[in-house]
Amino acid sequence: MTMKFNILLASVAAVALSAPVFAKDLTVDLSGEPSSLDPQLQWNPDSYYVYRNIFDNLLTRDNSGEIVSQIATSWERISDTETVFTLRDDVVFHDGEKLTAEDVVFSVKRITDPEFGSPQLGQFNQIAAAEAVDDVTVKLTTDGPYPALMAQLVKLSIVPMHVVEAVGNEAFNAAPIGSGPYKFETWDRGISVSLVQNENYWGETGPFDSATFRAVPDAATRLANLQAGTADLVVGLDSDGAAQLAGQGDVQVLSAPTERVAYLGLNLDKPPFNDVELRKAASMAIDNFGITEGLLGAGEIPMAQLASPAHFGYEERIDPWIFDPEGAKEIVSAKADLAATPAVFATAPVFDQRIVQALQQMLNDVGFNISISVTDMPTYLNIVRSAPEENAELSFGRWSCACQDADGITYPLLHSESAWSRVSDEKLDVLLDTARVSLDAEVRQEAYAEAHKIVRDNYYVLPMYQAAVLYGASSDLTFAPTANESMFLNRMAWSE
Amino acid sequence: MRLFLLNRLFQACTTAFGVLTLVFFIQRLTGDPTALLLPETATQEDFEAMRKTLGFDRPLIEQYLSFLGDMVQFDLGKSFIQNAPVAEILASRIPQTLQLAGGALVVAFAIGLPLGAIMALQRGKWISRWIMGFVLACQSMPTFWSGIMMIMVFGVWLKWLPPSGTGTLAHLVMPSIALGLLSLATYARITRSAVVDELGRDYIRSARARGVKTPRLVGKHLLRNSAIPVISITALEVSQLLAGAVIVETVFAWPGLGQLTVQSIASRDFAVVQAVVLLGAWVTIFANLLADILYSIIDPRVRLGTSL
Repeated sequence: MTMKFNILLASVAAVALSAPVFAKDLTVDLSGEPSSLDPQLQWNPDSYYVYRNIFDNLLTRDNSGEIVSQIATSWERISDTETVFTLRDDVVFHDGEKLTAEDVVFSVKRITDPEFGSPQLGQFNQIAAAEAVDDVTVKLTTDGPYPALMAQLVKLSIVPMHVVEAVGNEAFNAAPIGSGPYKFETWDRGISVSLVQNENYWGETGPFDSATFRAVPDAATRLANLQAGTADLVVGLDSDGAAQLAGQGDVQVLSAPTERVAYLGLNLDKPPFNDVELRKAASMAIDNFGITEGLLGAGEIPMAQLASPAHFGYEERIDPWIFDPEGAKEIVSAKADLAATPAVFATAPVFDQRIVQALQQMLNDVGFNISISVTDMPTYLNIVRSAPEENAELSFGRWSCACQDADGITYPLLHSESAWSRVSDEKLDVLLDTARVSLDAEVRQEAYAEAHKIVRDNYYVLPMYQAAVLYGASSDLTFAPTANESMFLNRMAWSE
Repeated sequence: MRLFLLNRLFQACTTAFGVLTLVFFIQRLTGDPTALLLPETATQEDFEAMRKTLGFDRPLIEQYLSFLGDMVQFDLGKSFIQNAPVAEILASRIPQTLQLAGGALVVAFAIGLPLGAIMALQRGKWISRWIMGFVLACQSMPTFWSGIMMIMVFGVWLKWLPPSGTGTLAHLVMPSIALGLLSLATYARITRSAVVDELGRDYIRSARARGVKTPRLVGKHLLRNSAIPVISITALEVSQLLAGAVIVETVFAWPGLGQLTVQSIASRDFAVVQAVVLLGAWVTIFANLLADILYSIIDPRVRLGTSL
């Protein structure tokens, strides 16, 4: 009896020991809880880190940034405004219902309905019509030629029509049903969201039985959780936190350049920056390399254009900025009075204040007279969107269009029609308009190359760097961060 | 007594109304959250559409009146950031903060009272000075620092306690201590001075003369009489704890009202901020009302003074 029991015990122990380590659950510490799990309702990283695992999108980007198939297996542009998508026919929602063309059409119509009030409306409202040709074919019609359509559809999550119509938006947000590799399990308000693996997924699910996304607002606490082993992956690390993790065997720092471009915005209608010579002096006064290497140090890359290698429309041949404070002083001393005009530098607490202060000092060192004005984010946004005469002389921003296309960043910041833009240059407008509607990739690329050059030559705005994102992770975890700041569980793995 | 109560209740309602009006207008002084809800690529039309959806296009006074109307019907509204009814959000947060405040009070009482009593009884001796130093440290350490230090030592190095989160009693230990330290110091100081006061009274001297032993003297006579100021200070400590919870809950990822307040203010979640501030005001008002009533029961002079 004892013998038998011992054998039993031994075999239980053997099973327990040989239990696959890769099935381990995953715990992710985010800075806040998702605002929403309805993928069409809210637009912030803490939300989409989670819901992009519950839902499939029409298209997606692979880890190298290429647009590849997901729900749509192939697509063909049949005219300047019409594109036909062929869908997978083996996709089922978590409730067992089949995903059909009707669901895709419903998803498009829902997110483009102004009454629904999606914050992503502006990303999709160029889609004028969506039509199910048959069960696996969808035709989308745009209100004009729209080259960025594919880049936008990467963000279109497919929601189940039968569920949303039956339960309503509020209940759907509280208990979302998608077709993705992970199913929604629980949402403890203010604490965490748990997902479990979808065994019936049509593709790769990744190694986790379940995954928990927790809200941990304090960065130091997230770091402590990682070090204590109670979290496997944490977001929102800065270079100081990364330095703290360096040299510790069981944790690693992961980083990737994003599609956010940081820039110094100039008010071209007010002194001192209505003067092109002084704008040039400002560009020479700024040590971009010092800021990315010395201050940030997370892998940021200095840029002299409003685009990055992660964007379509990036131009390699744009000259980098030249850091020459002595030359800047010379230019400024020739126009000392104009340069000394008091200028306000608008910023908000969400931006790294070390950069803002460094910029202020670099500019003042060569003879400008800059003072910083910190306001809360909504006020800051109102200031930088206001008319030139009410606008601040300087502003620091980090722009993301989440589309990885130069259109999403150059049009709003440089076209005279845009509220964000302080530039009014007819030639530039023509180039941006051409690139916006042309379906010829070469024509677009050329237009952007020229646009970047005009901006560089006239110092309309001073692009600074391509921002990077840092994650802290357990050293057992394999995870490749991407430019679009997604966290696809089915692309992660536990290393042996 | 009834007149006294009615009078205080009327004052409480006036205060709450004032708090509501202030918080409504102050929040709206610097605009609305539309810009935070929309992506950077949104156009002016997107802004107008969103403002209309959320009702921010209406005149301010109209918004205020409909807000008051909702309040009268106990309708706290809906959070447009969290997409859930405010009452539901509060209901999930209140128990968490109560737990934390309860834990902190236990820490403050269980450690602060004995320390205070020892300081008074051992006045002038080295142990009293050591305790005084400790109490001073508790009072001076900022919570965000002591919290992070505890996480480093007990969560990361020693691995005795979970660094953050909620769920078990172990999760409650560090946040309670972090939040309770300041109150602990207050209780220790109040207890010390109360006991010192009592020690000089005639009844203590006569009890000593009768030969009553020190433990009995402390337990039966001293602490009871010293308890009055300690009870009254608790009313003040309740609002102190609510304020302290804002930092402690952020550091320890404790999903209570404090964390909710910070997040809601940052995201301009008007409905939630209004509800939290209103709740805080009512808690403070009621704690003080309760203290007044307790006073009037213990000390009839208070009651007479107010009714006259």
